[in-house]
Amino acid sequence: MDNIKDTVLEVVKSILPITIVITVLQFTLIWLPMETFLQFLIGVLFVGVGLILFLLGVNIGLLPVGEMIGAALPKTKKLWVIIFFGFLLGLVVTFAEPDVRVLSTQVEQVSAGAIPKSILILSVALGVGIFVALAMVRIIFNINIVYLLTVGYGLIFLLAAFTPQAYVPISFDSGGVTTGPLTVPFIMALGVGVASVMKGKSASSDGFGLIALASIGPILSVLLLGVIYG
Amino acid sequence: MTLHVFKGFGETMMEVMTALSPLLILFILFQIFLLKLPTKKIKNILVGFFLAFLGLSFFLQGVHIGFMPFGELMGEKLGTVNLSLLIIIGFILGFFAIFAEPAVSVLLHQVDEASGGYIPQKVLLYTLSIGVGIAIALSMVRIILGISLWYFILPGYIIALVMVKYTSKTFTSIAFDSGGVATGPMTATFILALFVGIASVTEGSDPLLDGFGMVALVALAPILSVLTLGILYSRKEKAQDDKNQVRSEADRDNS
Repeated sequence: MDNIKDTVLEVVKSILPITIVITVLQFTLIWLPMETFLQFLIGVLFVGVGLILFLLGVNIGLLPVGEMIGAALPKTKKLWVIIFFGFLLGLVVTFAEPDVRVLSTQVEQVSAGAIPKSILILSVALGVGIFVALAMVRIIFNINIVYLLTVGYGLIFLLAAFTPQAYVPISFDSGGVTTGPLTVPFIMALGVGVASVMKGKSASSDGFGLIALASIGPILSVLLLGVIYG
Repeated sequence: MTLHVFKGFGETMMEVMTALSPLLILFILFQIFLLKLPTKKIKNILVGFFLAFLGLSFFLQGVHIGFMPFGELMGEKLGTVNLSLLIIIGFILGFFAIFAEPAVSVLLHQVDEASGGYIPQKVLLYTLSIGVGIAIALSMVRIILGISLWYFILPGYIIALVMVKYTSKTFTSIAFDSGGVATGPMTATFILALFVGIASVTEGSDPLLDGFGMVALVALAPILSVLTLGILYSRKEKAQDDKNQVRSEADRDNS
């Protein structure tokens, strides 16, 4: 029960401030038709209720799955198993990530269908998957995060020179939205699980950095999509 | 008055079904071959999946019928307002979008746990909020003046990678993690639609090129602010170490 109360409070705190700012703007500056504003308020209600249910679902069902798989994988003692399933989990979690869906809907709409939603989601998911796998490699071999970040962003700037300009903002935005309310706790749980089973590693410095890598992946993959597709 | 509340809800539910099924299938495979959990636990997990399904459906429906149309219309209106007001609105939106973001509280919690309370939650929260406020204000400037995203992103990441040299490894990881965490559901839905709206009415701007990129800047801001915090903390730590050293040397001299 406490869990439910906390989640409700969390979501209300997350949505209310922006809603108040927008309501103030509506009645001081923008004065959109009442109908549209009501539609917005219904949207707020839906998003709020939706987020509460979603987060509860994530806590009850999805996160434990991430933790258990994270703890079970290293026990197989097979390197390729850990890396492969890291990839697969990054991939499937991105499919279910709310923010990725919203961004790709917007991109499809604004580009008038030139960049289809399904293709964008797929390439973002592949990017996340590959970099979660890389993050597993990093935890196992204890690679310094700074090297990976430097190489990652170096590659990004290199690729960006060859891709159509329109893909650049979208790719960086994709990097941002992948890390939403599902991916963050899920990947963290997976990483902490793997790190805690690999003895002698501190969960703190290894568990972190996962999200950073998970947001580089989609930037690269969407830029690459631009090179191939654009 | 006609309100479109459940327009296209069936489609949304279908979308969510396809979105969640890969994860569910993967879980089932793991359950059969590796996990072998008792029935009671499986029940819980399935309830969780069902809740996530319902929640995601309502969330996306709310975005489709409420946030997107209203955000875009609001953007179109704001596109005609003068720049300094837009900058203020941008800062306020950014500050409040992140201040209570669920994904951020997850990070704050994990940081607190991992660092044993060494990094106060409040300090991190305010640093993040101000950083994101500045990011959205800058995005307003960018979209109105039509400045390429490069002029923000390139120096931003170069500065970040330089700052990494002066921060501890833990802080580096936290900083780059918080960049992704900052761009939660509110930013990626409502504010995104708002920017697409602004770009659509700004003369000489290409919505595809200028309307996007806001999330990218929002992701960069916390990285920089947390790294700054990291540098400040490592200085404090170093100063304390020096003091302790001086003290221990003094003790030795006395004895």
